Amino acid sequence: MSSSRRSAIIVEHLRKQQMWDAISKSKRLDGRDFGELRPLEIELDIIKKANGSARVKLGDTEVIAGVKVETGEPFEGLENKGALIVSAEVLPVASPHVEPGPPDEETVELARVVDRGIRESEMIDLEKLVLVPGKVVYTVFVDCSVINADGNLFDATSYAVVSALLSSKLPVFEMQDGKVTDTGRTQETPITTIPVSLTAVRIGDVVLVDPTAEEEACMDARITITTNSKGEFCALQKGHTGSFTIDQIKKAAEASRVKGEEIRAKIVELTGYGK
Amino acid sequence: MDGEQLPMQEIRRKYVIPGDKIIEGNFRPLSNVIRSGNMLIATRIGIAEVGRDGAKVIPLSGVYIPRVNDLVIGKIIDHSSLSWEVDINSCFSAHLPAQDVFGRDFSPARDDMSKHLAIGDMITARILAFDRTRDPMLTLQEKDLGKIPRGELLKISATRVPRLIGKRGSMIQTIEQATQTRVLIGQNGIVVVTGRNSEGTKLAVRAIRMVEEEAHTANLTQKIRALLNVPETTQEQAPNTAPPKSQEVETAIEEVEEELEVEKGEKL
Repeated sequence: MSSSRRSAIIVEHLRKQQMWDAISKSKRLDGRDFGELRPLEIELDIIKKANGSARVKLGDTEVIAGVKVETGEPFEGLENKGALIVSAEVLPVASPHVEPGPPDEETVELARVVDRGIRESEMIDLEKLVLVPGKVVYTVFVDCSVINADGNLFDATSYAVVSALLSSKLPVFEMQDGKVTDTGRTQETPITTIPVSLTAVRIGDVVLVDPTAEEEACMDARITITTNSKGEFCALQKGHTGSFTIDQIKKAAEASRVKGEEIRAKIVELTGYGK
Repeated sequence: MDGEQLPMQEIRRKYVIPGDKIIEGNFRPLSNVIRSGNMLIATRIGIAEVGRDGAKVIPLSGVYIPRVNDLVIGKIIDHSSLSWEVDINSCFSAHLPAQDVFGRDFSPARDDMSKHLAIGDMITARILAFDRTRDPMLTLQEKDLGKIPRGELLKISATRVPRLIGKRGSMIQTIEQATQTRVLIGQNGIVVVTGRNSEGTKLAVRAIRMVEEEAHTANLTQKIRALLNVPETTQEQAPNTAPPKSQEVETAIEEVEEELEVEKGEKL
């Protein structure tokens, strides 16, 4: 698997000034309100050999996710649960600021934050993915590739993973004479909830959701909050060096709940889940 | 640039993609053309032109390749103790020697480079030297060159720059007059719009974006006039009533006259 190294984006002072002028008028450079997301597009089944796949476009950010299910040994301490492994990479074609090389801190963070949202919300009922307790379990791999990076990779990747999982069909494995065999049949993925993440950044005193790459280059602090279908908070990641006030965190959390609900409805609509 | 002024020998034009044969025979390979045996091959996508002096390709897309004497708008992205590194929207990053700004008695110990030009600042500069074996070198030693204090920043494809300037600057003059703005165009496709009010600037930005998107279409100046609500009567007066053009734009116009020939070819 290729990986990535990202260099810092330097925003022109003129552009920063434009951004400040826009913010002072409660607008953003692309005309959005502070709490408005970019248009979300989801395309399913783009990888024929995967058990589920999705291409998600969030504005100009574009991510491909693929689900592959195999069998393997369970993780230590989680003998009665299937294994879920989410990985993410940013391809060098994604942006002029990405170079081939070992994954940098930000890319590792991306994979971890996305994984955490899916794992901690318990989106997949992993207990249903056990063949021989303690010995053989289903292993669900979700691999993501960012193919165009224009900010907010966290949410775009998260939506791609969720969409790919919602549309995936798991192969049915059976134990025959102590060996795992693929029956050729498929089953529904045991989905329990639909986690939706929402990233907000602070620039000066304002909090904006779904930042573009330019806004990320100017941000002081970043926070990603994931909610489940009931609107409960299940994962959180604070990034970058700056801080948030309690009020700003409350604002971001509220946005995550309210906007999360809208995005969840959109994901369900676009993936046709449950129909 | 009327038809009568075209060279006596017929100029043949056609659309090419990289690897296409332009012509066979004893022609000189000019820009974006290489020779392979007896054939001249295009190296970029664009309009191939075979004239008296050889064959060349006017690119329709692609990145900016620096040329000596080009006026460019760049962004300071870093500096060492002796020079600034400038992003000129190209595959090459340019250098601006500190001596060019501070003079020959520049001392890295005494002079604070970031006070003069900080990372993120935009500058207008001229390309002093470039030969593909070394990164392009810039200079600010001219009137009107230097840091850009204000304005709205836009990036267009470098191949659209001649179209944005128009014949003898007609397009850009139309936009500037109708929107009460000043438009600074770098040959590398970076454009800075400054205006008295934000409405004018917004309108100018819209017009520039339209030129970029519809650069290949005919009657573009008319479309832009319609967008800007410029009455047709000003069409003839425009060049006369225009305020004196800045040196940058003048030079840029001279530099693109060659390319403008092709625009004419397209219309023919």
